[in-house]
Amino acid sequence: MTDAPRPRVPIKEGYFSIPDDPAAVPNVVLSRCADCGEHFFPQRLVCGKCLSRKIERVEVPARGTLYSYTWVHMPLFGSMRIEHMEGYGVGQIDLPEGPRVQLPLAGKRDDYAVGIPLVGEVEPLREESGRDVCILRFRPAGSPS
Amino acid sequence: MNGVAILGVGMSRFGMYPNRSVHEMACEAGNLALDDAGLTFKDIDAVYAGHIFHQAMTGVRAVKELGMTGVPVQRIENASATGSCALREAYLQVRSGVYDRVLVLGFDKMTQVMGSAPSPQDMDEAILPAAFFAMWATRRMHERGTTPAHLAKIAAKNWNFGALNPVSQRQAKETVTPEQVLASKMVAWPLTAMMSCPIGDGAAAVVVCRDDLAKKYQPGKPVIRIAASHLGSEKYERGHLFMGPVVGPAQMSRDAATDIWAQAGMGPEDIDLVQVHDAFVIEELEYYELLGFCREGEAEKAIEEGWFEASGRTPFSTDGGLIARGHPGGPTGLAQIWETVHQLRGTAGKRQLAKARAGLCHMMGGGSVCAAHILVKE
Repeated sequence: MTDAPRPRVPIKEGYFSIPDDPAAVPNVVLSRCADCGEHFFPQRLVCGKCLSRKIERVEVPARGTLYSYTWVHMPLFGSMRIEHMEGYGVGQIDLPEGPRVQLPLAGKRDDYAVGIPLVGEVEPLREESGRDVCILRFRPAGSPS
Repeated sequence: MNGVAILGVGMSRFGMYPNRSVHEMACEAGNLALDDAGLTFKDIDAVYAGHIFHQAMTGVRAVKELGMTGVPVQRIENASATGSCALREAYLQVRSGVYDRVLVLGFDKMTQVMGSAPSPQDMDEAILPAAFFAMWATRRMHERGTTPAHLAKIAAKNWNFGALNPVSQRQAKETVTPEQVLASKMVAWPLTAMMSCPIGDGAAAVVVCRDDLAKKYQPGKPVIRIAASHLGSEKYERGHLFMGPVVGPAQMSRDAATDIWAQAGMGPEDIDLVQVHDAFVIEELEYYELLGFCREGEAEKAIEEGWFEASGRTPFSTDGGLIARGHPGGPTGLAQIWETVHQLRGTAGKRQLAKARAGLCHMMGGGSVCAAHILVKE
């Protein structure tokens, strides 16, 4: 008998949502301006482009194109997992909706190049009260999760 | 409106000082600036105290060490641009005629506050600041063919300037080579430790006054005038990064340059030396272009040809920059003023430039504000 997987929760509410299906692409939580249509990440109170206060919350699949990236030679903040101690990647990813997000990358530096398509995945950092505290990160589209 | 001059400057050497209090460092810098100005604390009409860290009222308490004369004391904070913004407040008050003589004091003790580093619970702060600047470098490498060797050459220049500056935090005993910079520990690819500023403690102070008073207080000495003062924040454009301690839009520095050239009636060709926010070396490279000291896409060629070295057309980071002189936070922008004033006066010792009539000081704060000043010797 195997243990049931622990429930997964975002490290902070309001940035991304975790689908029930572990194989599904997580969603990024954006603001959309009801007046000019500009999208923002993270959510905003007033439209940064046209100053409209008519802002709605939308969720879109975490997919995009790599604008730039780096590899940090320090442990990932807040992680208790040995595989995060060596360092971690960070990317700036342009979502098709417009926002540029800045989030950790999976794998190793050689997996990446400016301009490649990426897809989001949920990565557990540590266990807390029987739940996995997770971040959203990206990996090359088509690579195994 | 009044003309505004810098009457005195003082610095407490940046470094790691577990046994020195912020009050002690601030008092040392403040008294040095007052002595340099030829004034006492009784002559001061107002004080602006800049610190990023430390609890409420730390500025006022530090100023008590200098004197208790009832003067208005006001804290200013704008991340790395704290000292620059405190100077700007003093400038605005003297320029508008509210005060005649103002002391600007910047200090911080980062080694005391590193326990309050970003919380891993917060999505906004969960990535190392070096990573943001590293991504600026990666993008630049992609677009312009920049190599880590270009970055290393800038860093080596700043380390070697720092070795000539008695108040620089980092003072290499032997000439630093680009190869050493490249071989140092990788922090966030492609940025190495020697391409990044250290944390540190320190203080710096500046006395600002009406320019006609400067002639009276210091007859026969050249007047160092503040010819332009700028502070701006971000404008929205597609691709803006809202999360974390970010680099900030490049346009902020272009806008700062446009404004200060108009204020001063000058251009890059009139400037003899420049100090910038080189917390990570890619910044200095980008600011060569954004501030107009070379054309867009020309920085790599300019680095290879040494345009910004001591003997080049416009030396940058002549006191070692944030990378060598150090970057405790609150005092950093005032250290730039300290260096520029010494260069303009001809008192910069071993790093004195042959020609130093006008200098530009540029600072970013948290990637979200940009401050800039032009100092001119008359």
